[in-house]
Amino acid sequence: MSYTRTAQFNSRRQSNWGRNQNTVAFASAVKLGPVTHTVLVALMITVLGLIYLTQATRASSYDYAASSTADQISTLADQKKELEVENARLTALQSVKNSSVAKNMTTPTDTQHVNE
Amino acid sequence: MNLHFARGGRTKSIAIAMSIIMALFVLRLFYIQVIQHEYYQRQADSEQMKKFVLHAHRGEIYTMDADTPTKIVMNETVYTIWVDPTEVQEPNKVADVLNKVAGGNVRDNFKQYITMPDTRYQVLARKVTRTQAELIKKENLAGIGFDAVSQRVYPEGQLGAQVLGFVDNEGTGKYGFEQANDTTLKGTDGLLKTVTDVRLVPLTVGDKNINVPAKNGTNYVLTIDRNVQTKVEQALSDGMGKIGATQGSALVMDPNTGKVLAMANLPSFDPSNLSAVTDLSALNNNIITNPYEPASVMKTVAMSAGVDKGAMTPDSTYVNTDSIVIDDKTIQNATKGQTGTITMQHALNWSLNTGSVTLATWLGGGSINSTARDILYQYYHDKFHLGEKTGIELANEQGGTVVPPTEVEGNAIRYANMTFGQGLDITTLQMATAFSAIINGGVYRHPTVVAGTMSDDGQKFTATKQNPGEQIIKQSTSDTMKKMIYDARQAFPSYHSSDRSGYYIGGKTGTAQTIENGKYVFDQTIATYVGFGGEVGKKPAYVVMIELSGPHKNFDGGHHALPIFTDISNWMIDYLKLTPQG
Repeated sequence: MSYTRTAQFNSRRQSNWGRNQNTVAFASAVKLGPVTHTVLVALMITVLGLIYLTQATRASSYDYAASSTADQISTLADQKKELEVENARLTALQSVKNSSVAKNMTTPTDTQHVNE
Repeated sequence: MNLHFARGGRTKSIAIAMSIIMALFVLRLFYIQVIQHEYYQRQADSEQMKKFVLHAHRGEIYTMDADTPTKIVMNETVYTIWVDPTEVQEPNKVADVLNKVAGGNVRDNFKQYITMPDTRYQVLARKVTRTQAELIKKENLAGIGFDAVSQRVYPEGQLGAQVLGFVDNEGTGKYGFEQANDTTLKGTDGLLKTVTDVRLVPLTVGDKNINVPAKNGTNYVLTIDRNVQTKVEQALSDGMGKIGATQGSALVMDPNTGKVLAMANLPSFDPSNLSAVTDLSALNNNIITNPYEPASVMKTVAMSAGVDKGAMTPDSTYVNTDSIVIDDKTIQNATKGQTGTITMQHALNWSLNTGSVTLATWLGGGSINSTARDILYQYYHDKFHLGEKTGIELANEQGGTVVPPTEVEGNAIRYANMTFGQGLDITTLQMATAFSAIINGGVYRHPTVVAGTMSDDGQKFTATKQNPGEQIIKQSTSDTMKKMIYDARQAFPSYHSSDRSGYYIGGKTGTAQTIENGKYVFDQTIATYVGFGGEVGKKPAYVVMIELSGPHKNFDGGHHALPIFTDISNWMIDYLKLTPQG
């Protein structure tokens, strides 16, 4: 079986080396020129920018949701307060005194006290 | 091949020009971004950052409904609508919507503020209801903002108005409890500083946002019982109507705690309709703001001093000639005919001035000398705290005057007069508090209207710690005085015939002359009655004090103030579910 080397390995034994250092390094046969590098960097910056914009927009959309929820809470709190005020007015002594129930009540003719 | 610019060629000139232009750009950008950084930062902040005040809710006020706290002053949210003219896109639509929805609440000529230059905040309408605000919000108008503000609501109407006070348009408490406790009721406003969009929706963009939450005001629970207060106001109104009095005050206290259960003055006012108030004196709580000469009810204090000092007992006797001379001045009895050798109890029953003045001479060993005056001042001022503020949690309390014996005016004549309630000025509250100490076992407790505080959700009531008070007279003195005051009421059938039977009820009348321009007038008196009630053999359950007057009206305590006391006393017996003897 024949074996064809498709990649080139450069031995580093001839150069200065020490322990824990690779003695070979992969060197791609594909060479990128300065224009390609520039385009790639520009693309990376663009992608990062898009990611940032996406996140910023998403955060803003949360702000609107939060604002809407806060408004709902405020509205419900106001409604609750209105109901409390109405309840207080209806249970005020003057309201109770003037109610039909109170008007139909009678005074007892005699009161007995029980010593417990 | 080596490329190079031809010497003096056009290309080289263009390159140099471009370099210069680029250098200018760089310099300009450096100037804007670095040197002018702060300026543009401020410009950006002023356009993008907005400050919002987070309004603290003013604390609500509760009264007691028997044992249950019940709201008597509440907050209702209303809205102030404002405009930022620089953000308005459709000024005509804004004007139309406001006119249509909140036409009654807009300020005069509000349309001119919608497009007003050089301003970013102009109020367009106030006190807009939530429903109105919702309708306006639905129109999605750019440049329009809403500030929620609280407005006081009084579900019980004008009940206890002078105790409560009111809140003015600036949100500041005036008169009564609102003024005295304004700081704690107000709370502390918060702050929201944030980047907003054009419709002022806060955005979390940037790193300069600030959110300081508002701290709501304290919710107070008063000792005032709304049932007692309602009864007292009604009884006072009825009683005044029968005799034609124009001014009246009534106070109900728990003598064992110092808690004020009711405090009523007539005429009164409606705190939700202040524009209807024509006489500003109606705003005053006369019970604490109007010191006066209390007249014969003071005899209970003078005799307490006498009993406590061992100078007299109820059975001590003196010869009554209906007048007594002190330093060449003759002091007369208002009621004549009880002459001869009589007891101090008899003198109290008939409210004889000679009795209390004689007691003062006994304190000095035969005359109203400095010893007698020192003793009286010690009891009046130092022990019963007359002539000084009680410290009740209400605004505009006055201290009154008790002239010390060290001053020239503190002479024997003044101190003789002071034994029957002239020559000193004290408030109704001071008198009722002193009276409470006389009949509760001898313990002075500063009066209070604060029962405690309530949590914001209205669920947790925290009671204030009760003041232990100070023992100012002996228990035995208190027992003796309680019996004397009881006997003073029982001495006359007309005084006690309407009392509920089987209860221990006592009291003392007072009829004070009125001083105008420094002189006593003889066509106008102030009628007073102070008394207590409770079960036989137990501590008194309540103290009631009544005060009545009217221009050119001669009222007296026994005939005019006493019936109102009796009305309230009988009602209190039922309300407190007191059990009769036998």
